[in-house]
Amino acid sequence: MKYKGLSKLITMGATLALVGVTAGGVLSANASSKETLTVAYPSVYAFDTGPLATQWWNQVKAGFNKEYPNVTVQYIPIPGSYQDVVNKLSLLYRSSSTAPDVAEMPSAQIGLWSSSDYLAPMNKFLGTSAWFKEFPKVIQGEGEFNGKIYAVNVGENDSALMYNMKMFKKAGIPVPWKPKTWQDIVTAAAKIKKALPGVTPLWLNAGTGSGANGLLQGINNFIVGSSTPTIQTSSGKMVVSSPGIKAALGFYQQVYSKGLGASETALFSPSAVTAPLALFQTGKLAIAVGSNYYGGNWTQFISAPHWPQAVQTMGVANLPTEAGGGLASTLAGWDLAISSHAPDAQMAYNFINVAQDPTNLIDAANWAGWVPPVKSDWALPAYTNFAPPYNADFAKILPYSTETPTSANYSVWVQGMGEATGMFVQNPKTTVSQALSTMVNYVTQQLGNNAVATLK
Amino acid sequence: MKASTLVDGSVIDPSTIDLWRTRKDKERFQWSSLALLTPAFALLIILFLIPVGYAAYLGFTNLTLVGPTAVKWGYTGMANLHRLNSDTEFRSSLVLSAFFVVGSIVGVLIFGYWLASLLMRSTPWVRVVVGGVVVIAWMMPAITAGMTWYASTTAGGTFATLTGLSNSDFLGSYPLLVVTIANIWSQTGFAMLVFGAALRNIPSEILEAADVENASRFQRFRLIVLPMLRPTMTAIVLLVALLSLANFSLIYVMTQGGPGNATNILPLYSYQQAFQFNNLAYGALIGNVMVVIAAIFGVLYVRVATRRSR
Repeated sequence: MKYKGLSKLITMGATLALVGVTAGGVLSANASSKETLTVAYPSVYAFDTGPLATQWWNQVKAGFNKEYPNVTVQYIPIPGSYQDVVNKLSLLYRSSSTAPDVAEMPSAQIGLWSSSDYLAPMNKFLGTSAWFKEFPKVIQGEGEFNGKIYAVNVGENDSALMYNMKMFKKAGIPVPWKPKTWQDIVTAAAKIKKALPGVTPLWLNAGTGSGANGLLQGINNFIVGSSTPTIQTSSGKMVVSSPGIKAALGFYQQVYSKGLGASETALFSPSAVTAPLALFQTGKLAIAVGSNYYGGNWTQFISAPHWPQAVQTMGVANLPTEAGGGLASTLAGWDLAISSHAPDAQMAYNFINVAQDPTNLIDAANWAGWVPPVKSDWALPAYTNFAPPYNADFAKILPYSTETPTSANYSVWVQGMGEATGMFVQNPKTTVSQALSTMVNYVTQQLGNNAVATLK
Repeated sequence: MKASTLVDGSVIDPSTIDLWRTRKDKERFQWSSLALLTPAFALLIILFLIPVGYAAYLGFTNLTLVGPTAVKWGYTGMANLHRLNSDTEFRSSLVLSAFFVVGSIVGVLIFGYWLASLLMRSTPWVRVVVGGVVVIAWMMPAITAGMTWYASTTAGGTFATLTGLSNSDFLGSYPLLVVTIANIWSQTGFAMLVFGAALRNIPSEILEAADVENASRFQRFRLIVLPMLRPTMTAIVLLVALLSLANFSLIYVMTQGGPGNATNILPLYSYQQAFQFNNLAYGALIGNVMVVIAAIFGVLYVRVATRRSR
């Protein structure tokens, strides 16, 4: 009796297993007939908050599935900082089985990944694209290497001087402030120091703590506005010494030797690039070499931090060039690219096409603190009214901005330049030649003589 | 040899006795043991030797994280080794690591012993409270310890406030010293526990005999306590050396190897090369150097531990 029961149980189990396997097979066969698109994106870093990133990507997915209901979009959110995102994406790309069909990536990395054959050229799709034609030339070229376009932008960051108008008035500096030379900035900062003790006159990113972002919102703006704006030569060599680099370091030397900069603790913090947002709000900072996302961050929607009086308090001024007048600004953003292993590149492009929809682009710009790459979006109220007048001001700067180099050697150059600028903060008596020598030695030692260049 | 006759009259022929086989005080080998050891060997090979060997091999290639050689990479002979030989940043990193490790060892030994001897003489509740606090510091994750020390030693932090110099940035001014002190702080609890156990094992009769002989406190320490604590100290030195040499998280959280490269010890330099500069192979080679250094400490530790057990 006992064994009879057992054999019944085994028979039932086997039958159930058989049914399960068969059903599973049928289900998986159905599933495989439905296409899956994998999309990797930074879940925390690129947007102002994690939930906004999730909301935006879900919005794009919903729009895409309206047009392509048979395609399942599978997201691969990548948490962590800039470096974490780059490393995780690099590791995902190493295997064709893990490479995401579409990925959102920082513009500075496109060259590296395309040279690894990780990315598929998009030229055949972009020929008929209306939105790509509306990109300024500098942004169209962001993802282009050897005539092939490997990535398209979804949002950019550029730079300008942000200043506290009330403090300027107290210090007797006329507003709106329109500095014509770098010396005008030093003069204004010195006046602030004299008139408003306890206020940091000028925020000028320095040191290695903030990595590439510290340079993007720091010394690179001065180098690209100098007489020799080149950071990387056309042959790929990193420029370690040039009249422009010397002039930019000279500006740093002036600022820190005169005690016009922020404290070492504040500047060397990993979150240094966003520190001015709170310092301005609390009335502890007068001028910053800032970025386009400041205005949006002060809105109630983003609240990082919320500062309703920002509009009446903060002004924007173009950063002049070394020669005087003009406009100097760096440029870097986030792009979408298709993997060279994507089984259906057309479908991957269709997803990017939906992401480039004006509503999506403007939401991304507002929620991530970007300037949208499509020119016609710059005047749309949905963008300009989100953070007036800052969004419109920074959109005007975008076409004149200069792209950040995109090569493996740039990260070494960033470290060397970070060390050089940090020296002025640590020891205000540091000379330009000492800082330059540190930079030259470090980069040359790491990359070798053949990979560096000196411009006269 | 002659046959022996035992007291019960039985006769033993020595030629029939295999002395080596029957002796119990000698190490013996049985071929069947190999079969029993096979699973352990297999695990060791799969989970340890192959990955370590592969990592060692990567150090002699041109593999990068991204770029053309991320896909098409290969063996490059001694090229990376030559680069390492002329890499001044690596030499600087070695010196920084030596300061960090030696400084940590000295600090942990001094503070660990000092706390253990104080607690030996303290009332039970003080022992519980102080011991508990120190052990919590030891058990604290490196990231938490790093954040605590970062917040305490930068401008406006606890140290700046206590010294009345609220704008002083101790971490920025003395980065290597501060991260070393933070490491000592986080590892002293371990040394205190081990020293405490060793101190309790010193027979009180010996110390009382020293008192009878009018030995000074220093003589008691130098001639009795120190020699008896030597094996314990050796174990602490080696373990702290190994833990400090591989301590990436604490420094990464506090300084990321900066300012500049002021705290860029070997694990951070390896990370920087592999994941910031994309040179996976060169980063792996620096990792190999760390493995060699750690292996030397490891062998020393095993030898000391074996000698103690004998």
